[in-house]
Amino acid sequence: MTSVFLEMLDGFTRQRGVQGGLVVSERDGIVVDAHVQLGVRASVVAALAASIYRKARLSAEAAGLGGVAYVELAAVQGRLCMAGRGDLVVVLVTDGRSSVGLLRTALLRALDNLP
Amino acid sequence: MSLVNYATREITCKIVYYGPGRSGKTTNLHYIYGQVPSDRKGRMVSLATQTDRTLFFDFLPLDLGTISGFTTKMQLYTVPGQVYYQTTRKLVLQGADGVVFVADSQARQLEENIESLQDLHANLAEHGIDARLVPLVLQYNKQNLPPELILDMPAMEEALNFRNVPAFAADALHGPGVFETLRGISELVLRRLSGATSSTPSATSGSAVGVDAGRR
Amino acid sequence: MTIAVVEPWVEAPLRHFVQDAQVTLALLLTPSGQVLGQHGFTRAVDVMAACALAAAIHASSSELGKMLEGKPFAGLHHAGATRQIFLAPAETRRGTLLCLTVFDDATSIGIVQLYFDELRGRLEAGAPGARTPPTGVLADTFEQDLNRNLTLLFRR
Repeated sequence: MTSVFLEMLDGFTRQRGVQGGLVVSERDGIVVDAHVQLGVRASVVAALAASIYRKARLSAEAAGLGGVAYVELAAVQGRLCMAGRGDLVVVLVTDGRSSVGLLRTALLRALDNLP
Repeated sequence: MSLVNYATREITCKIVYYGPGRSGKTTNLHYIYGQVPSDRKGRMVSLATQTDRTLFFDFLPLDLGTISGFTTKMQLYTVPGQVYYQTTRKLVLQGADGVVFVADSQARQLEENIESLQDLHANLAEHGIDARLVPLVLQYNKQNLPPELILDMPAMEEALNFRNVPAFAADALHGPGVFETLRGISELVLRRLSGATSSTPSATSGSAVGVDAGRR
Repeated sequence: MTIAVVEPWVEAPLRHFVQDAQVTLALLLTPSGQVLGQHGFTRAVDVMAACALAAAIHASSSELGKMLEGKPFAGLHHAGATRQIFLAPAETRRGTLLCLTVFDDATSIGIVQLYFDELRGRLEAGAPGARTPPTGVLADTFEQDLNRNLTLLFRR
């Protein structure tokens, strides 16, 4: 990992319960940069998470609710947390031990530092 | 390899027009395109340079109609003739069911013809194909040019037709021999599919200059 | 959804792919440019032209890949203003097949690649054994039909 997202993703993955962080292109659904543990299929997560985020954003806009601030998908064994700016979406893959509140705050703060 | 769809009873074959640069491969396709009714042909695709020399290939899909109960389609391709497009020629040749070798009858082009025929054999070999088993016909194009400029049929046969395959005199620009050549190669390719053992066509003749060019 | 196939075993994998990836056009073909199945093309002639061009793109980009890194490129993606294409090979017991797909904003290249991997798996699993060259397809009298059709074709 050599990109400008190195510091941000590194910071996320040091947090308790975080199995991976990805910066994804919302339009293309491909990984811009990722730092994930073994077993997390980054390209698959990127494609599907970008699709979910995009649909959530378009749904919110269609409903007249404005842009999406934050999307969270609760699964049996963890969560996907997503927040985006421009064409980029930051996706965190977490297990059940993570503190969602802390992650959400960190995620939204990190958006400010996206190029 | 010919694609045979038994469910829809369709056959699709790939025919490649091969030969040296400016021998008239694209002209053959243009003539066919111009003659065939629009409901029996598809869009002609030409990947050509700005000066209309073939860069990659020309492509013309033809619907031959129903043969023995099968809707029969021919996909005609040309290759770029210039020597330096060797890689491209090899790519277009891939999967060919039959080859039409278009030779330039002009005496000064004899070396180019021989070189191109050798190139054809080398490229078939690279695809793992025994050149002797591929349906092949020769077309001696430009036989309409003044006699002092060209080699006549016997001379062309002597120089190029060592496999004794069907050969046709032609003037692709104006049409004579184009149809006969297409019929010749179609027959050879379909004869393979018919499972017939004979390798010579039953009735092919092409003549651009009053010479019976068909070999039987 | 209309899927037209030349060989029945490609229908289910192609149908899954089109549904899952939400692509507008999909074409399965051989590297020599012969169509095996398609979705979304409304005119047969366009399918043939697309096949010839797709086979050519694949052939040339593969050669370029071999030249540059010793092996063909895994796939090819072109993005236009509203539509994009993705072209990639799938290895099966029937030999290499190519898939050309066209998609728009309803999906993304990431999704298309994701489901293309599934398509590749399904084609690999579903392919019958190697095809033997067909023989004895046509009746011995095929010359009569051929001559009649060619005569009609050239209006002679």
